[in-house]
Amino acid sequence: MVESVQQLFTGFGIAATLTNLLYCLLGAVAGTLVGILPGLGPIAGIALLIPVTFGLNPTSAIIMLCGIYYGAMYGGSTTSILLNVPGETASVITCIDGYQMARKGKAGPALAICAIGSFTAGTLAVFGMVFLAPPLAQAALAFGPPEYFSLMVCGFIVLSNVTGGSLIKSLMMAVIGLIIGTVGLDPVTGEYRFTFDTTYLLSGIEFVAVAIGLFGIAEVLANVDQPLENMESGILVPRFRDLYPSLQDLKTSFGAILRGAGIGFGVGLVPGPAPVIATYASYMTEKRISNHPDDFGTGVIEGVAGPEAANNAACQSAFIPLFVLGIPFAPPTAILLGALMIHGVVPGPMMITEHPDVFWGVIASMYIGNFILLLLNLPFVPFFASILRIPKKVLLPLVMLFCLTGMYTVNNSINDIWLMLLMGALGYLMRKRAYDAAPLLLALVIGPKMEVAFRQSLMLSHGNFGVFFERPVSLVFLVATFLFLALPAFRFMIRRLGAGARNEGGSG
Amino acid sequence: MRKAELIEGVVLFLCGGGTVALSLEMPLGTFRMAGSGLFPLCLGIILMLLALLYLANLLLQKDSKGHSGEAAGARPGAAGQMLLFFGASALAVLCFNILGYPLTAFLLMLLLLRILGLKRPVLLVTLPFLTAAGSYLLFVQFLKIPLPKGLIGL
Repeated sequence: MVESVQQLFTGFGIAATLTNLLYCLLGAVAGTLVGILPGLGPIAGIALLIPVTFGLNPTSAIIMLCGIYYGAMYGGSTTSILLNVPGETASVITCIDGYQMARKGKAGPALAICAIGSFTAGTLAVFGMVFLAPPLAQAALAFGPPEYFSLMVCGFIVLSNVTGGSLIKSLMMAVIGLIIGTVGLDPVTGEYRFTFDTTYLLSGIEFVAVAIGLFGIAEVLANVDQPLENMESGILVPRFRDLYPSLQDLKTSFGAILRGAGIGFGVGLVPGPAPVIATYASYMTEKRISNHPDDFGTGVIEGVAGPEAANNAACQSAFIPLFVLGIPFAPPTAILLGALMIHGVVPGPMMITEHPDVFWGVIASMYIGNFILLLLNLPFVPFFASILRIPKKVLLPLVMLFCLTGMYTVNNSINDIWLMLLMGALGYLMRKRAYDAAPLLLALVIGPKMEVAFRQSLMLSHGNFGVFFERPVSLVFLVATFLFLALPAFRFMIRRLGAGARNEGGSG
Repeated sequence: MRKAELIEGVVLFLCGGGTVALSLEMPLGTFRMAGSGLFPLCLGIILMLLALLYLANLLLQKDSKGHSGEAAGARPGAAGQMLLFFGASALAVLCFNILGYPLTAFLLMLLLLRILGLKRPVLLVTLPFLTAAGSYLLFVQFLKIPLPKGLIGL
């Protein structure tokens, strides 16, 4: 533990260099803009800005990309409070009480509590990471291919189950992602698969093109479908002097922030869209333990403080499975995994020892990044809000141009742009037909790892599938998978039984 | 809506079937020493099974509840505008190498702004010019990323 603290201080030394501070600031600002603007989310934002980091060393690059991630999560809350429009899905809960506070003239305290809550939760999460990551990495060294395979299967099922849509549809998307991931070189035998004699497909499907297409282009096209009126009429921008929360606000929020941080940190460690689940869980917890639960939804500060703290803590603890196991549990961390690999850093149990500068530098930069966001967001709220005045009819072409240009710069390939457009059209249709793109993207990124783990496991066991059930850790993951698969069936049965009982009661 | 959902199920089933067919052309090996086709074969079969389950679920439903997509929020004429927007972007990709980056960026912005209903001539020229110049300076001059030069040689 002492060693971890020492390493963290070394990390602060790395993160606090002028260059890294600059990239952290750039990432936080870019992320805030991405979070505020409609038409771009954190996934497309990170994917688009990967090419910008090509000339940087891995530590600076990942610091900047991480800054975009948590900056975007923060920016999303600003639009939730000022406009009742969540910048991304994790901010939906903040709309409920945040916008009501703004309507009552308390937009300033709501935004300030968001910033303070996020900073506090981020700080606690950094310490949680420092103490949890090294022992978890040690434990992960004992993981063999069967454990990794079962963990990845569990991750898919959980993600598919909690994204809100149909489980079958999400599972089909995950399988399609895995199939797309098999295009190119077979990672075990070195043979080519599904390349159709084209040189473009020899190196596999470019995941950045899929990410920008499914999340960037599809979002732009979906926005073109919607009314294009400006949003400025609904913006409730506070004045700078109104930004400070009262002592009572701080006192009321204190407990909610701590509880939110705890919930968020825990949820971030498990597979699934952690920030979304964490904000919802925190809101429900606050409502349940409150002395005035009926006031929730009318502009209660705990309804903003708890979820925002949970959101930030979940974002940060989601880096633990990514760094320690090398397995992302959600699309934004999947994109970051891709970025890490582009920069020659392979996350996993050995990352702490092989790339301590990246690992501890990035963790320390998260703390610094949160502080930057705290400083940046409070005084500049009116500026960020004014960005929302850019008409959609100007913004959408800009985003489209940036997607096309950004995609070209990854490999200087026109084929990548075609693939991105194709994925954009597919993503648009998927939205229309209520198919979730997140399982597809995640499956594409971790599919090759999953295949290798599957084949290595069977090689080790001489073709015996029992290897996945004989090893305790693997068995635990598979039991969890089964429970998550069975959950919808249980829910359905309970509903049917309940309906049957009501009918009997009604007729009797 | 129900018909559309049935078509989706069939398309996904066929995708699974296509994967299976293509996988069978690759060496399958054994479970002990899997060939390159085994994993995609398993995935194709799983996709087919899931699609069948989806179709069975649809057929077993007594009445269609509709779906939870976003079509309800669409405005009149939006589909045509969206297709034009997408088509203009595809056209820009075709012209990318021929016209070069700055000119393509300028024309694409001009076209997209016009498609989305921007009518003021001053803005229609100024915005694309500033965007093309700004992005050219950022990517080519500042980040040193080579972009197609095309006709104008920039």
